[in-house]
Amino acid sequence: MPKKPTMRRGKPTPGPGKRRRHGPRLPTSMRRELDAMGPGPAHGSDDEEGSDAGIEDVYEYEEGVPEEEAGKNGRYDDVAKYEYEFDSDASDADEDVPSEEGEDMEEDDIDDGDDEEKQIRILQETTGMPREAFDGKKRKQALELPLQHGDGDGPVTIHDLLDNIQGKPGYSKVRKRLQQQERKTMTVLAPLPKVERDKIERKVAYKASNKELTKWEQPVKMNREATTLTFENDTNLGVNTVAAIASEFKPRTEFEKRIAEITQSAEIIEAHKNDGARILELNKIDVEDVRERQNRLAKMRSLLFRHEMKAKRVKKIKSRTYHRMLKKDKLKAASADIEADPEAVKEYARKQEFERAEERMTLRHKNTSKWSRRIIERGLTVQDEGTRAAIAAQLQKHAHLTRKMNSTKDDSSSEESSDENEDESDSEAKILNKGKEKIRKVLEEYNEIPNSGVFSLPFMERAMKKREEATYEEARQALEEYDDSLRKLEDDDTEHNEDSYKVAGKRTFGPVKNAHEEVKKRKLEDTENISDSEYDSDTARHLSNNEVITKHDDIQPGSALLDDEPQNDLYKNFSDIIKNPGPKTTFEVGMLAGDSWKKVKSSKGNGQRNVDGSTNKSKVLVPSIVDPKLKQQDHNSDSDSEEDMVEGFLTISDRKEKYELPSQADLICQAFAGDDVEAEFEKDKMDVLNEENPEPEKPALVPGWGQWTDIQQKKGLPSWMLKEHEIAKRNREEALKRRKDSKLKHVIISEHVDKKVEKYLARNLPFPYTSKDVYEQSIRMPIGPDFNPTTSISALTRPAIVKKPGVIIKPIQYEEVNPHEKPNELKRVIQRAIPNRNAKKASAKQGKRVTTQKRK
Amino acid sequence: MRVKVISRSTDDFTRERSQDLQKVFRNYDPGLRSQEKAVEYTRALNAAKLEKIFAKPFVGAMDGHIDAISCMAKNPNHLKAIFSGSMDGDICLWDIAARKTVCQFPGHQGAVRGLATSTDGDLLVSCGVDCTVRLWKVPMLKMVDTSDHTGDNSQACTGWIETYFLHQQSSHGSMHFLITFVLTAVRGVDHQWDGNLFATAGAQVDIWDPNRSEPINSFQWGNDTVLSLRFDPGECNILITSASDRSLTLYDLRTSSPARKLIMKTRCNSVCWNPREPMNFTAANEDTNCYSFDARKLDEAKIVHKGHVSAVVFRMDIDYSPTGREFVTGSYDRTVRIFNYFGDHSREIYHTKRMQRVFCVKYTYDGTYLVSGSDDTNLRLWKSKASEQLGVLLPRERKRQEYLDAVKERYKHLPEVKRIDRHRHLPKAIYNAAKLRRTMIEAENQKAERRRKHSTPGSMPVQPFRKRRIIKEVE
Repeated sequence: MPKKPTMRRGKPTPGPGKRRRHGPRLPTSMRRELDAMGPGPAHGSDDEEGSDAGIEDVYEYEEGVPEEEAGKNGRYDDVAKYEYEFDSDASDADEDVPSEEGEDMEEDDIDDGDDEEKQIRILQETTGMPREAFDGKKRKQALELPLQHGDGDGPVTIHDLLDNIQGKPGYSKVRKRLQQQERKTMTVLAPLPKVERDKIERKVAYKASNKELTKWEQPVKMNREATTLTFENDTNLGVNTVAAIASEFKPRTEFEKRIAEITQSAEIIEAHKNDGARILELNKIDVEDVRERQNRLAKMRSLLFRHEMKAKRVKKIKSRTYHRMLKKDKLKAASADIEADPEAVKEYARKQEFERAEERMTLRHKNTSKWSRRIIERGLTVQDEGTRAAIAAQLQKHAHLTRKMNSTKDDSSSEESSDENEDESDSEAKILNKGKEKIRKVLEEYNEIPNSGVFSLPFMERAMKKREEATYEEARQALEEYDDSLRKLEDDDTEHNEDSYKVAGKRTFGPVKNAHEEVKKRKLEDTENISDSEYDSDTARHLSNNEVITKHDDIQPGSALLDDEPQNDLYKNFSDIIKNPGPKTTFEVGMLAGDSWKKVKSSKGNGQRNVDGSTNKSKVLVPSIVDPKLKQQDHNSDSDSEEDMVEGFLTISDRKEKYELPSQADLICQAFAGDDVEAEFEKDKMDVLNEENPEPEKPALVPGWGQWTDIQQKKGLPSWMLKEHEIAKRNREEALKRRKDSKLKHVIISEHVDKKVEKYLARNLPFPYTSKDVYEQSIRMPIGPDFNPTTSISALTRPAIVKKPGVIIKPIQYEEVNPHEKPNELKRVIQRAIPNRNAKKASAKQGKRVTTQKRK
Repeated sequence: MRVKVISRSTDDFTRERSQDLQKVFRNYDPGLRSQEKAVEYTRALNAAKLEKIFAKPFVGAMDGHIDAISCMAKNPNHLKAIFSGSMDGDICLWDIAARKTVCQFPGHQGAVRGLATSTDGDLLVSCGVDCTVRLWKVPMLKMVDTSDHTGDNSQACTGWIETYFLHQQSSHGSMHFLITFVLTAVRGVDHQWDGNLFATAGAQVDIWDPNRSEPINSFQWGNDTVLSLRFDPGECNILITSASDRSLTLYDLRTSSPARKLIMKTRCNSVCWNPREPMNFTAANEDTNCYSFDARKLDEAKIVHKGHVSAVVFRMDIDYSPTGREFVTGSYDRTVRIFNYFGDHSREIYHTKRMQRVFCVKYTYDGTYLVSGSDDTNLRLWKSKASEQLGVLLPRERKRQEYLDAVKERYKHLPEVKRIDRHRHLPKAIYNAAKLRRTMIEAENQKAERRRKHSTPGSMPVQPFRKRRIIKEVE
């Protein structure tokens, strides 16, 4: 520091040069004494001149000062400049001693001026720049003299300053204090060497910066411990409702502008407002009106509902006949319409046209169907009347449809009418009649027995006869029933028929014609193999019949096959049985039913027996077949238990004969008679040891050179071989010694390493973990979407850092963090790392990042 | 007979829109799935393999300089703008997205040694061996048309580069620079984050205010050249420098004196503060290692990051990711490495056949890319995560990736996953150099051990590596 803490005399300063004092100096001790005497008489305007005079006369001695200040040696200048550069303004604050500003000021200025001159010169020399470049500072500093001189030329003293405030309230106080201070002895310590001072300064600076940095500890720790840091911008998307966007709208194009002009013109807006008001007025509603409207609506709704229900019911009806009739009705209605309405006529004509066109395209009725082709292939002459008639009808229809348009109308109407008649007469009675006819035919054909082949054998003949008799009986019965139902049909209306048809799929009570039909048909199949059933109008029923028939055929050979069938089939069979309680089906049930089904079957059987007395035929069979089985089983179980009993009895009697009371030792001996446990264990252990540390192979003679000359035998094994063996042996022993169980006699600790398992084991405990269990716990719970609900996955798999590409991440910014704040606080700053504390709950990641810095 | 029937409400199974995904209902009972660990392990293994397959970090090279690139600066305001200075004195402004030069202009007489931008991105400070510090005004970065426009580059330049400040007359008539400071060459420059001061490093450390022609403060402690300096981005008054007397020096601007000095066995070429942890900084040392320090406890390094095989003479550069979790180093050994902030070895090594000595590296401000400048006059753009899929990810894709990463993270300690994850192919030269280095270190260790064995017990204590390279801390 160039400015020395010196006390000066109050003389007017002669100049920069004279300030430096040469000549003799007082020794330090003396100076101290002088100091003790008091301040000098420097302050001319002071009240206490005399008392202070002695001290003011003395100046302090300092070792380094004179030489430096004198400028004897050039190198001190450099130092001066150097220091100037560093602390031009702040140096005053750095002084260790209390400075008396008033006194020092002038001197300092002069000093500075001197130094600056030098420095400018130096700078000029070194930089080669003009002098003006460095003058700026000097000029600035000259302005910094704010003090006013108290009296004339003299230096400014503290008393000068004090004079200014004379008479003000605190004056006396300040003066008293000043006097006290001046009276005090003042020793000024020697300033520390520069190196030391710098060091102290640096220490202070470091301490300050440390303090500043330490405040970051908390946020940094929080960030480090957080499982997730999120860096994202809270981009403000602004208003995002449709209305808000619409309000921003400004017309840009011509069109838009024109529209805006219209819509936003004052008149229109006004009108709209008025209108709106009027509309509001009109909007008042009468209670009566509302009620009426409601009622009307309710009525309409109920009507709709009824209509819907009706349509549903009609749609549900499966009867073909019914639908056919329905269609007819509709057509009739349509034709009635045609007469009345010209529109309908046109419509009808169009429809007809369409039909005809379709026919021409598809040739549907020109014997192109599979069925008709097959019939024709077989030869029409072979077919029965019905088939032939059907084919003829088809052809006729085709001809009719493809006929020229002129004549269509009349013909079709006539055809239609004939069809109608036919169909009407058909409906139910026809079907029944057909069935009746067929049965009659069967009965007629019954007598014709094939005379050739296997059937000519006597026992076959007998069997055939028997069967035929049975069928004949059945057929006859069926015929009777047909008659019955025909008679009934005459009485009942169609509705009744519908019902009976509907029920067909379910359990039927009373005389059911369905069942009989089926039976009859089966008979037909069995006996003749004639497939005239195709012609039957009721194909659906026919199909179901066929199913039944085939099933029965399968079943007949034996019940064993059926056991393999899945339960579903069983169910089906049961339902079949329920549907058609024919003799054979019941039989089959009897064969089928194991013990588990027994009850079901029997109850069903009973039920049926109760319900339809008219159709119980060979049901007597059922119990006779099932019961023996049951009995058999019972027998078996009985016999088993009996045998057991016998055995138990035998053994007990044996023991009783041998029994004697043995001693304890004997018992133990007896118990472990056969086995030497210790030896066995020893052997086991040796085995394990040998397996894990195998014994080295014994050295053997080398085949090859010298084998035939006895040399090898004479010399024995080569020494290196023996040596190697020795080493291997020693190694093994050492390895055995190293084993954990080497000193434990009764323990085997396997040190075998399973290489396949090793793959799945971490070699050593991963870093943050301190115990194996904690690590294992941390990876115990799976984190995948297959094993966790969606809500928890994102927490489990959240990465340590979430950032968006393209978002600038700014450095951390300090903010006071309240340690008691709620953990779920939302993002506050636009961008900052938000430690996600919710994610900590995810146990999978727990403890992974809770780390201090890793040390090596 | 009882028949079990599954009954479900239609609401649960009806999608609101046809694009919606069908809900899948799962039973998460752990008793039902016993193989989940095996399944996840396999997934982790596959994820590790896939990561290797998709690891294509190199995005592109940007050429335009005619000499080696010595320094770079990123613009805190424009993500895709980056400045580069080369050894022949040129300064370029690049558009990373288009990988084109926006403009190029002669910056200095000699090599440019330091570039820094102000936080608002309007000012660029450059310094070089021609003993000048220049202040540039950065224009608004226009959208760079990818089509050819190299012809009007120079025009664009003259348009926006203007004399920023010329307070005094100067004998040098150049229009661009603020100050000619005749001392030694200026070696580095950095700008405060939370202030408008910047500092240059040369013979001493000068603190500048862009509105003044002279440094507002100068620090000197010792007579050696200061090689690099960095302001603490979190704490704008704190500054660290590395000097050629093998020292790292801490400064505090408020106290107008240096604070502390740390002397190591070899010098540090570059330093960088962690932007997320204002007390920590990492120094790239000449001995090829990086040392992370806590500025408050300089007696030992917190972590020694090893990996590079050479960092001779000139430079080894370092830059932190803005997330503070990673930093990137470029070295004389022609590789760019990424380190975890507490990892002792690099997580990633980037190299190409044509990349020569790397002089400078930067992490972009979004933490997704790296830029390296090397001796071969090219800037190279890398992905910070080698296998990352660029572009917009669908939420499902992102979730899938997150899951795979999490699974890999979980099973990374298992030998197979670890092996695949760590495996890197290296150029022969680097591989051999690394091997040689390992051998040397082993030999050194062995020697020390032997000496220890033959000396008085306790006279040669084992020093941890993080203390070994530190000579002393000077107050």
